[in-house]
Amino acid sequence: MKTVDARGQLCPKPLIMVKKALGEIAENESLEILIDNETSVKNVTRFLEEHHMKVQTEKRGETYRLLVSKTGEIPATTMAEDYCEAPAPLKADYVIAFQKNTLGQGVEELGQLLIKGFINTLPEMDKKPGTLVFLNTGIFLALKQSPVLESLKRLEKEGAKILVCGTCLDYYQKKDELGVGIISNMYDILDELSRAGKVLYP
Amino acid sequence: MCYSTILTFASTHQVLMAEKLLLAEGIPHDIIPTPKNISSDCGMSIRVRTGGNNIETIKSVLSGHSIGFAIAEIKN
Repeated sequence: MKTVDARGQLCPKPLIMVKKALGEIAENESLEILIDNETSVKNVTRFLEEHHMKVQTEKRGETYRLLVSKTGEIPATTMAEDYCEAPAPLKADYVIAFQKNTLGQGVEELGQLLIKGFINTLPEMDKKPGTLVFLNTGIFLALKQSPVLESLKRLEKEGAKILVCGTCLDYYQKKDELGVGIISNMYDILDELSRAGKVLYP
Repeated sequence: MCYSTILTFASTHQVLMAEKLLLAEGIPHDIIPTPKNISSDCGMSIRVRTGGNNIETIKSVLSGHSIGFAIAEIKN
């Protein structure tokens, strides 16, 4: 059985190697393909299935072993590049944790001014945060009367997850005044923080 | 094309004073960092959300309290 070793190769290389190998074997003959990343597995599988070839996949350690029997033809006009997955959009892997309703240390009125400028700038950023967490007096930023409510709503609408500490809303008796985001607990908040690529504490 | 009106000030203290006055008048606004194309200073400005309608009120409120400011229009 012929083997294509596409480990360490990035799209469209594995697809080109598979296409070439299929051209070299007889009908109904089997081909083994070795790949070491999930994206390429998906791309190659789609490539083969759309050309009427059934794929069996198994994972051994870091290597995926795909087994295919040549039950179809891949026309010479098929472009391997077309089967590369579109690159993922600029994905935000950072979380911002607001632990108070001011930015930095110092005089309160300056801290309040700075946090407004900070939050109102976030919707303009190319790389927006994936999640915003509001704790302690930070929850005041997510209330209905918050001066930055519009910016937070815009971020939420564009896909950011907004978690507001339920214990804190309860302590300050502001549960009824929540203007954006979802009431959350320490399990979910800690889960978000621990998964984040980066956490910013303004 | 959509434009925003930005109020810029000579000092942060004036931004804070202006913010208080606008709040008292109930004029919707946002605190934003001064856009880079207006000034390279690390300053804060006030973006007026409702466009030009309020500008005369804003002018009289701020001038009445001797707050110096400049008005810039930026494309959104």
